[in-house]
Amino acid sequence: MAPPAQSQRSPSPSQPSGKSEVSDLKLQLRQLAGSRAPGVDDSKRELFKKVISYMTIGIDVSSLFGEMVMCSATSDIVLKKMCYLYVGNYAKVNPDLALLTINFLQRDCRDEDPMIRGLALRSLCSLRVANLVEYLVGPLGSGLKDSNSYVRMVAVMGVLKLYHISASTCIDADFPSILKHLMLHDSDTQVVANCLSALQEIWSAEASTSEEASREREALISKPFIYYLLNRIKEFCEWAQCLVLELVTKYVPSDSSEIFDIMNLLEDRLQHANGAVVLATIRVFLQLTLSMTDVHQQVYERIKAPLLTLVSSGSPEQSYAVLSHLHLLVMRAPYVFSSDYKHFYCQYNEPSYVKRLKLEMLTAVANESNTYEIVTELCEYAANVDIPIARESIRAVGKIALQQYDVNAIVDRLLQFLEMEKDYVTAEALVLVKDLLRKYPQWSHDCIAVVGNISSKNVQEPKAKAALIWMLGEYSQDMQDAPYVLESLVENWDEEHSAEVRLHLLTAMMKCFFKRPPETQSALGAALAAGIADFHQDVHDRALFYYRILRYNVSVAERVVNPPKQAVSVFADTQSSEIKDRIFDEFNSLSVLYQKPSYMFTDKEHRGPLEFADELGNLSIGEAANNVVPTQMVEENDKDLLLTTSEKEETKGSRNNGSAYSVPYDGSSTSVFASQTQIESAVSNPTLAGHSPQASFAIDDLLGLGIPAAPAVLSPPQLKLNTKAALDPSTFQQKWRQLPVALSQEISVSPQGVAALTAPQALLRHMQSHSIHCIASGGQSPNFKFFFFAQKFEESSNYLVECVINTSSAKAQVKIKADDQNTSQDFSTLFESALSKFGTS
Amino acid sequence: MLQCIFLLSDSGEVMLEKQLTGHRVDRSICDWFWDHVISQGDSFKSQPVIASPTHYLFQVVREGITFLACTQVEMPPLMGIEFLCRVSDVLSDYLGGLNEDVIKDNFVIVYELLDEMIDNGFPLTTEANILREMIAPPNIVSKVLSVVTGNSSNVSDTLPGATGSCIPWRAAEPKYANNEVYVDLVEEMDAVINRDGALVKCEVYGEVRVNSHLSGLPDLTLSFANPSILDDVRFHPCVRFRPWESHQVLSFVPPDGEFKLMSYRIKKLKSTPLYVKPQLTSDAGKCRVNVLVGIRNDPGKTIDSITLEFQLPPCILSADLNSNHGTVNILGNKICSWTIGRIPKDKTPSLSGTLLLETELERLHVFPTFRVGFRIMGVALSGLQIDKLDLKTAPSRLYKGFRALTRAGEFEVRS
Repeated sequence: MAPPAQSQRSPSPSQPSGKSEVSDLKLQLRQLAGSRAPGVDDSKRELFKKVISYMTIGIDVSSLFGEMVMCSATSDIVLKKMCYLYVGNYAKVNPDLALLTINFLQRDCRDEDPMIRGLALRSLCSLRVANLVEYLVGPLGSGLKDSNSYVRMVAVMGVLKLYHISASTCIDADFPSILKHLMLHDSDTQVVANCLSALQEIWSAEASTSEEASREREALISKPFIYYLLNRIKEFCEWAQCLVLELVTKYVPSDSSEIFDIMNLLEDRLQHANGAVVLATIRVFLQLTLSMTDVHQQVYERIKAPLLTLVSSGSPEQSYAVLSHLHLLVMRAPYVFSSDYKHFYCQYNEPSYVKRLKLEMLTAVANESNTYEIVTELCEYAANVDIPIARESIRAVGKIALQQYDVNAIVDRLLQFLEMEKDYVTAEALVLVKDLLRKYPQWSHDCIAVVGNISSKNVQEPKAKAALIWMLGEYSQDMQDAPYVLESLVENWDEEHSAEVRLHLLTAMMKCFFKRPPETQSALGAALAAGIADFHQDVHDRALFYYRILRYNVSVAERVVNPPKQAVSVFADTQSSEIKDRIFDEFNSLSVLYQKPSYMFTDKEHRGPLEFADELGNLSIGEAANNVVPTQMVEENDKDLLLTTSEKEETKGSRNNGSAYSVPYDGSSTSVFASQTQIESAVSNPTLAGHSPQASFAIDDLLGLGIPAAPAVLSPPQLKLNTKAALDPSTFQQKWRQLPVALSQEISVSPQGVAALTAPQALLRHMQSHSIHCIASGGQSPNFKFFFFAQKFEESSNYLVECVINTSSAKAQVKIKADDQNTSQDFSTLFESALSKFGTS
Repeated sequence: MLQCIFLLSDSGEVMLEKQLTGHRVDRSICDWFWDHVISQGDSFKSQPVIASPTHYLFQVVREGITFLACTQVEMPPLMGIEFLCRVSDVLSDYLGGLNEDVIKDNFVIVYELLDEMIDNGFPLTTEANILREMIAPPNIVSKVLSVVTGNSSNVSDTLPGATGSCIPWRAAEPKYANNEVYVDLVEEMDAVINRDGALVKCEVYGEVRVNSHLSGLPDLTLSFANPSILDDVRFHPCVRFRPWESHQVLSFVPPDGEFKLMSYRIKKLKSTPLYVKPQLTSDAGKCRVNVLVGIRNDPGKTIDSITLEFQLPPCILSADLNSNHGTVNILGNKICSWTIGRIPKDKTPSLSGTLLLETELERLHVFPTFRVGFRIMGVALSGLQIDKLDLKTAPSRLYKGFRALTRAGEFEVRS
């Protein structure tokens, strides 16, 4: 508020413009200042109120500072409060004048009324003027010893405020140790809670410089202290309970009986009226049982009811926050909630962000027993007034269909959607039918019959149009008029604005041509001509590619464009399990609401380097690049590396460059091919099966015509690492800070590897034999952390790796940074293969 | 923790600002927020937690007043939201309702309250009972009192005794000439009924509200005749957990005055008191509407204030709707509202008429959802019954009272 934002707001006519009123007030305050007449307090109160209201609406009344202070000599507590408020607001910009107030605040700190003592102390600490801190120490010291708990409570917070103004003053006065004493011995729980929150903040800030502080911070999560708090938890006010529970989540119990003790003690917190307490308790339960799978499941069962009640009882805002957490849990363990699916039914009045969450949950909990009801319900929403929600619900039906084995009923519903004659419903349904056919080709007969009736003129959305065209091409042998529909689309080539649709049209024409050549030939010619003349680079390239491949050899063209396809078994999820786990670790925080782990939305620039320095400091610097690695092993490694990478590359190439290749679908917006991609099946056709490297050569030849289609596929990576790479730790640290993360992935570690990883050194030696050197390592079972580096052979291009291995889950989190970003994928594969051999060689 | 709280009027004007920590939050954040709200179209639709370029914002909207809190650090989201809800509850309790004027008139009280409710961004006392002892509410009684006694301070001289006692929700030993305790069961029925009349979902959310004026330190026990029907319960901090675990008995020392003792949820109810039968048939650009409302399951008491509301689909040009009972209004935002009141003995209320569709539209594809409202005094529809209420050391004169009320929550009928 200060400096008041008068300039930003144009004062409305009804608002006082300021100047004259303020000088008026000044005069009146002056007259009252010395007066001791009866009733003077009332007139003062009116004036003060006016001043505060000016301040609130943003008029600068700081010029009254002196007069306000003069009038502050009063016994009236409301006057005092208003005066404190005023002073608190303007002290920071008027540090000189603030000095004037110290006197009367200090006097009030010694008042006989504890309320006034407390208020004065709070105001004194809220002045936040650096050069006045010396006046704070005395009153704070006596405040902490006050007989009244209200004053002590205020004083404790005052210490924290003092710390933020001047940390050294606070430490020199030895306040932290006084707070510690209070925290352990005070009878009032609010004082204890305030001490806890103040000390947590102070010690966390001090921990980086003072060893004592970090020891004290550790002591907060020691067994005796945690038990001391837990045993008194019911006496704390609800907000303080949240604070205590948050601390408990950091505590690591020594054995399972302790875990059960804590859970028994806290169980009734799940029934608390305050949602924040309930969620904090749930977090404790989930964290404690993370390593005990069966108990963890029981916890889910136990917390289900409280969560569902919280959702239905609170205001919409509360519901939303709880629902986001519920969403996270449902996504983690859908089967636990599958019988409660009715709770996720949408209400008409709910805002759409709530409905969206509910739709996702309905999709997740669908199983054999409830699919029918859920799909019926979702179909209701398709007629919803809210069009985005109607779309989402159709998509949800499709997702359920893709995750079920028995899709009989669902297909009927989807086909009904196609007959609803609403363009957006038709559009969504078309996309779904397409996905469905990719997974269950056996349904093609029923679907094609319905799809055939849809006039392509009624479909406008690019995604839907593309889906329709794909089906026309794919099933042209079953659809009577497919060539003619396609032909009419080709005729309107110029009116088609979406490149995606034009690309699909080209491919569909090709497919159609292979199945019904006489009817398609002329149209194909027109399509290729139009495509080659197209201004869009991808369309142009693809048309040219088709044209040349056809001229080269028609049967090769058919093998490439229209190979026998395998049904897609799994559609990959958009959100990786790693991210979900990360969010889960941050349960009861904003991360859950944003559905992103905190590192993805908090400011990296402020935290990144600091954190890194911290981490590296805790690790031991390993002796890097000392051992000579047998060359033979490297070569051996390189051979199978070649194989694995080229496979990998193909998958990746077709995933990313699908649209520039013969793959019509790289999935809808929500799903991408997981493993089996069409290009792969195109390549591994019967004659060439099992010879992937050769197959990619065949393509290489084809593309040798000079069409820059998919360069990624062409270069089988020949990444060789320098066996004697050297990098000193400071360069590493510097590079790590500068480079962006090129790749971040999760790798499974073989059971043998887990068994061999008793100490970090074992892995170091192993990785060194693969020319990957360790610069720092640390940790103990089950968590190990390593920093590796490697150098390209005969080049000074470096790869940096952070690798965190959890032996209990047999997973490794790997972050790779590289000087040369283009080869980071190759390196990743190399790294992965090296890691996978750990323990076996 | 929270860094700043703003109260905004329904035109986006900052009515009040309370800085909580040393990191001052500039007022311009409110401008950003308001632009955001406007860009979202409807404040109802914007999310409770928003990330602005500089801060994370929590917002709670009550009676046109936006309570906005800012933070820059990670914190439990419910803590922020719950706290704002409490602030709004306490303010409306103190000021007898919330609106722009009442806040502007009493901003000093609001400042005082916020001062006690949160310090340095961390919530402290949010119990209205305790706060009332620190800061007297600006009611007529206190105004009269101040005129009579000449003591114009609206702050009590004593600090709340409870801050030191082990029962933080109860002030030390009040004295009453008449000892009274009233228990209300208030239930809300949420139901979804499909177009074929099938009950998709029906559950009751209920609250046990207690109004207690008892001297001393009363120890109460409340038991239900059929506690087994409760699916899930939540308690006021005063309820002891063990007796509930073992015998499903509520044992507690109540706060003084009115409070929510417990809330509960009962799911899978089998029937609703009312039936609503909508019929929509459309052809040739017209849609015939016919809705019947009647009693399905007589709860034994009068069903009161029955209303029916639905949003007309946007593709409708005009509507001509009439009823044989009650009044039908079509509001500005195309909401049709039918006020029925009570069901008459001699006829079944029905709403009928035609809707004219947009040209080019043959049939109606979007079907409205009917929202039903009702109120039944004297009955808890879930069937939950209070068995008895005991006071450990009963004073000589004790009045006990029980009431029950059921009203429609989200009661929807699809067509």
